[in-house]
Amino acid sequence: MKEICCYIDNKKIVTSEKMTILELARANDIYIPTLCYNPDISPSGNCRLCLVEIEGRQGQHISCMTEIEDGMKIRTDSQEITEIRRITLELIHANHTQDCTTCSSNNNCQLQEVTAYIGVNEERLNSLRRTRPLLKIDDSNPFFNLDHNKCITCGICIKTCDEVAGVNALDYGFRGFATVVSTCCDRPIKESACESCGECVVRCPVGALYIKESRLPAREIKTVCAYCGVGCNIYLGVRDNKIVSARGDRDSIVNKGRLCVKGRFGYSFVDHPERLTSPLIKSNGSFREATWDEVLDIIAEKFSKNRKEKFAALTSAKVTNEDNYVIQKFTRAVMGTNNIDHCARLCHAPTVSGLVQSFGSGAMTNSIDEFTSARTIFSIGSNTTAAHPIIGLHIKEAKRKGAKIIVANPKEIDLCRFADVYMQHYPGTDVVLLMGMMKVIVDEHLQDKTFITERCEGYDEFIESMSNYDLDTTSRITGVPAEIIKEAARVYATNTPSSLVYAMGITQHSHGTDNVLAVSNIALLTGNVGKASSGVNPLRGQNNVQGACDMGGLPNVYPGYQAVTNPEIIKKFEKAWSAELDRENGLTHTEYFTEIERGNIKVLYQVGENPVLSEADANHVKKALKKLDFFVVQDIFLTETARYADIVLPACSFAEKDGTFTNTERRVQRIRKAVNPPGDAKDDWWITCEIAKRMGARGFDYKNVTDIVEEINSLTPSYAGITYDRIEEEGLQWPCPDKNHPGTKYLHAEKFARSSGKGKLFPLLYKASVELPDKDYPLLLTTDRSLYHYHTSTMTGRVSGLKEIEESEYLRINPEDAKKMGLKEGEMVMVKSRRGQVKVKVNVNRICPAGVASLTFHFPETPTNELTICAVDPVSKIPETKVCAIKLEKA
Amino acid sequence: MARGKRITLKNYGVIDPTSIDDYIAAGGYKAARKALSCKPVEIIDEMVKSSLRGRGGAGFSTGLKKKFTSEACLRCEQKYLVCNADEGEPGTFKDRIIMENDPHRLIEGMIIAAYAIGASKGFIYIRGEYYNSIRMLQEAIANASKKGFLCEDIFGSSFTTEIEIKLGAGSYLCGEELTLLESLEGKRGYPRIKPPFPAEKGLNGFPTLVNNVETLATIPAIIEYGAQWYNEIGTENSPGTKIFTVSGDVEKPGFFELELGVTLRELIYDFAGGIKDGKKLQAVLIGGAAGTFVDETVLDTPIGFDTLKEKGAVLGSGAVIVLGEDKSIPEVTGSILEFFKHESCGKCVPCRVGMTQLVNMIHKNNTLQKRKGSLLDELVAEADYMAKTSLCPLGQSPIIPLRSLQRYFADRF
Amino acid sequence: MGTSEILNKFSPEYDNMLGILHALQDNNPYNFLDDSDLEAVAEYLNTTLSHVYGVATYYTMFSVKPRGKYIIRACNSPVCNMEGSISIIDELKKVLSVDLGETTKDRLFTLELTECLGQCDIAPVMMINGKIYGNLDKEKIGSIIQQYKSK
Repeated sequence: MKEICCYIDNKKIVTSEKMTILELARANDIYIPTLCYNPDISPSGNCRLCLVEIEGRQGQHISCMTEIEDGMKIRTDSQEITEIRRITLELIHANHTQDCTTCSSNNNCQLQEVTAYIGVNEERLNSLRRTRPLLKIDDSNPFFNLDHNKCITCGICIKTCDEVAGVNALDYGFRGFATVVSTCCDRPIKESACESCGECVVRCPVGALYIKESRLPAREIKTVCAYCGVGCNIYLGVRDNKIVSARGDRDSIVNKGRLCVKGRFGYSFVDHPERLTSPLIKSNGSFREATWDEVLDIIAEKFSKNRKEKFAALTSAKVTNEDNYVIQKFTRAVMGTNNIDHCARLCHAPTVSGLVQSFGSGAMTNSIDEFTSARTIFSIGSNTTAAHPIIGLHIKEAKRKGAKIIVANPKEIDLCRFADVYMQHYPGTDVVLLMGMMKVIVDEHLQDKTFITERCEGYDEFIESMSNYDLDTTSRITGVPAEIIKEAARVYATNTPSSLVYAMGITQHSHGTDNVLAVSNIALLTGNVGKASSGVNPLRGQNNVQGACDMGGLPNVYPGYQAVTNPEIIKKFEKAWSAELDRENGLTHTEYFTEIERGNIKVLYQVGENPVLSEADANHVKKALKKLDFFVVQDIFLTETARYADIVLPACSFAEKDGTFTNTERRVQRIRKAVNPPGDAKDDWWITCEIAKRMGARGFDYKNVTDIVEEINSLTPSYAGITYDRIEEEGLQWPCPDKNHPGTKYLHAEKFARSSGKGKLFPLLYKASVELPDKDYPLLLTTDRSLYHYHTSTMTGRVSGLKEIEESEYLRINPEDAKKMGLKEGEMVMVKSRRGQVKVKVNVNRICPAGVASLTFHFPETPTNELTICAVDPVSKIPETKVCAIKLEKA
Repeated sequence: MARGKRITLKNYGVIDPTSIDDYIAAGGYKAARKALSCKPVEIIDEMVKSSLRGRGGAGFSTGLKKKFTSEACLRCEQKYLVCNADEGEPGTFKDRIIMENDPHRLIEGMIIAAYAIGASKGFIYIRGEYYNSIRMLQEAIANASKKGFLCEDIFGSSFTTEIEIKLGAGSYLCGEELTLLESLEGKRGYPRIKPPFPAEKGLNGFPTLVNNVETLATIPAIIEYGAQWYNEIGTENSPGTKIFTVSGDVEKPGFFELELGVTLRELIYDFAGGIKDGKKLQAVLIGGAAGTFVDETVLDTPIGFDTLKEKGAVLGSGAVIVLGEDKSIPEVTGSILEFFKHESCGKCVPCRVGMTQLVNMIHKNNTLQKRKGSLLDELVAEADYMAKTSLCPLGQSPIIPLRSLQRYFADRF
Repeated sequence: MGTSEILNKFSPEYDNMLGILHALQDNNPYNFLDDSDLEAVAEYLNTTLSHVYGVATYYTMFSVKPRGKYIIRACNSPVCNMEGSISIIDELKKVLSVDLGETTKDRLFTLELTECLGQCDIAPVMMINGKIYGNLDKEKIGSIIQQYKSK
């Protein structure tokens, strides 16, 4: 690029980048006052403060929208410029509430900043009449207020909602002097499309949008959000041992400072009065407080008598890598069994079992920041904007940059607004849909022949299975019109690089592993893996489910996916842990409850899970738990499952401990202690170590988290180079085999992780879902996610603002079905399946197609999983949460 | 010397405006036929030679505008022609006269202009309040299509174009070409920042030519009779005719198509019947609300784009509002400022708050307890500041009449 | 005509926003755009309510509040103002017993101000549902209103 040489206030600046005068000034620490400019959005040019003079051009020019040219001589200040800036400022002040000392933006206000720089004429300012009548403050949103009287109509909030959040909830209303920022129809912001993400609030240059009851922190701690698998980097603001604020880390490559409503406003659960503060022992049906010594001794004694096949442990996708490592080590080295599992069984187990077969590695192949450079993004079985909001933002950004978005989902989710192609396929027909798309690709010769030849195997067998998926059959089974299938296939195959994201819609089926293989098939067929901005990207749900899997919280692998049945691996771990280890695969989560019912498993040690609400066919779980001889639950709240426990142990939340989480893109990131835990709550790893020590075990004398990390580094090849000090500033993505390795942005670049080095294509047959609607149970129930609540609402249910926005469950049902059954909006119904029933309100809309209804599982009062079926995938053992049959009766 | 010369309004009162056959019989669509048998660049050259200047108010060279648009982005798959029929300048109604009485002339002009720049689609952005004009144009477009004048391969050339009517909904600002494009795209009427200009990036990012109704309706005559013929009418710097609309205190308010170079005296006294009720002339506001006040010393200045400038006046849209001796100039000024305040879009502070301040000042709601100079001087200072900082021409408008008041009528305040 | 019928006359492109709003408003007996219409437009054009509302409230010909059967638009722009529009407007207020922006109790008339209607040669001017009345004086107002009342 040619060099551009400019002069700003006689200072010579040379650059080779195209930019505006304002950007050049800012990059060179030259101040030009602005109010309507923000680097994250397109410039508007309406505050008229950033005026500069350019030699050779008449008048003043706005620097935010004037591009620099070679030889330009710019003056950022002059008597005339100051005069007209001053008058503009006085006009703004004339209609702005003058209450700086009590304003929540005091000392953090751009209006104060520019006024200090430009100055105002006090006499003139005092005499300018306030010509705008006082408007009522919109305090409808539980987290922030909109004070129109302080609004300077800079438009930053509107553009933020359009260009950053992609929600478009705000616009100007009316015109001229009566212009206000509005949502619609005099509706308060709470009743609009606003998703309460707060991105507008953090960008408002004055105090018009401000967080309710905000307090400045005394210090800030950099950590990672505890909700979903995106792993947004945040700064928790702390004051007097309380979290008073949360803001995104703008330097983080993961979220670039952006947060969703939970990540920004969802931390009041940390110091909720219901936090467990003391160990509890159940006696005579109710819990009494006890000391740590008391409970640890009891546990050690009971555990000692119930080792090996009598014991099972559930570790947690919410606790740190170090916690997970210790818990699985304890289970294996002390309890002598591989019966360790966690909730990944219920969500991404097929990802692990599927991708391991096709790629050799079961993790997201590419990185989050690569989405914005993809030319096509194909989202299948993922309600991305609700479950992974920040990845949703990345996809919206990609769309703005011209990417094509393909969405495949039985429900017309919010992401469909941005879709160029939308396939509304019948639940459970993903194999057919994807194979049908692949047949189009092959028939039209759009496959990547070079990639297939050089980097794949199994092509011939795969092609043979294609014959089942002609367009008519595919269209008939999936319900998607043939033309749309063709279009999606063509776009995905040719408008590359194409990135595929998927989530529960693919995995939570009795043929979940096949679904995942279909996904890897289409990526391999078109050469969309092993390259930047492409890949197969399973979006992991929990904040550390990736880490829990990586750390061996699974019955068939040690940390780093090293097989428990491999003699050499067994030797390595036996040596490291000084213990004899079980040589058989352990049982899975879903098998536990059957074995508990049969009386084979007597003792369950559960950390940070809530299977009574999250497990399919939940009634079966409840029955099983009652049969246990001894049940220990370790958690931060007394969950619905904890009520069944014999002993409950109070643990630290993410804000009260140090350690690491691994997000969905394999990035290991530091979390840091921000506040002290309440009462007697302890670190999860400390608790497990204490139990181990009291059982006489050795190797559990860790003094602090770094000791554990070192041990992990030594035993886990993919984590070997991810030492604690290396991830002080920014996380590292595994595989990271040594201390000099920079981490791996995307996988399978040179070769696949399978022994042959090639990716494998799989022939697939369509297997229908186990329980489809019939005349007795005529509706299909599928499950959904809400932006405002997380999982079983253990955390979000205790954030009053989130409860206020979404108070309770509702059954989403299509107007056709509602009409057939004579149901009206808001009416209560009994939803019944062959396994259970729940009472819930009805919400009539077109999100679900006719014949399909959906529920989330976020509300304990409406335990959706008492309806779902535990029909498992034979390979991964994941239950088919996404499809079961129900009937409705008026309540 | 100057005569009423009907070029643009040649057919007024002569044909039935609802009948396309009448229009054709009177020589209609001949120019379009001729144009489509030439090369587009030849049409543009002819327009440049004719020195026709935009009749909307800005007075930019029509030929050059066409040149820029046609040259812009030669590889662009789409170019547009937009007819600005959002006539909103107070005192102006010439476009309405054209559209109600000779709609085919406008259509013919649009076909030629579209051909010249290679626009396969034309829009008429017409203000929603012009119900009659809308009806006339809808019928005319339908009839023209039926006759094969708006379709594929018009007159056997390989040129295809169509015209669609798009309604405005009550916003003066949407008569400004860049704001018009925003409104055409279905958005709030917020002005865009230029550059880029419409010729380069207009409707939906494509090169767009925006021309006023009167400008487009003059094109057929120029093509039919030639640029040289046109140059011989009017004056050297301002060739051709202009439709003046005279209102206010005159005996015969109305529209008059006259050669440029005519004087205000001739316009007001010879054509518009002189001051009403035999009163004396106090002032003339030329160009509409964003126009200039002049007094009797300017009555004999030939009217042209440049000649008026020396007298601190503008031709603008050609609106001529006559104030008799009993009118209060401050009141009329107040009404002008109220008008601007109502039409301000509110995007930028100088205009949004500044217009309100101007209105407050003139309605004697003093904003300054002690007046430093006269009210008019303060108004001019405020309007001057607005002109320097406002985002669009609306904010830059109040200074125009106010400055002229300072020159000619300072003693009235 | 139903809302969907009207919407389907336009292709679902954002550019058709103003045309669609005009058509929906004209179809409403109270000459306004109700919430459900705005929602329908938002869905049809794949945009959000806030954007549709923003457009509907920007342009003076649209109303988001119910109006009367006959919309009286009185011009008070410079030429009409000069020619006595204030007294015309005062007379209208008196005859209809409403203020500017208000609708009569029988929901027949709404009185509004409008921008210059381009009828300056017959100032002062008002427009009732598209019909122009010029060269007005106080005396004419009563009879014009009466004509509409007796329809």
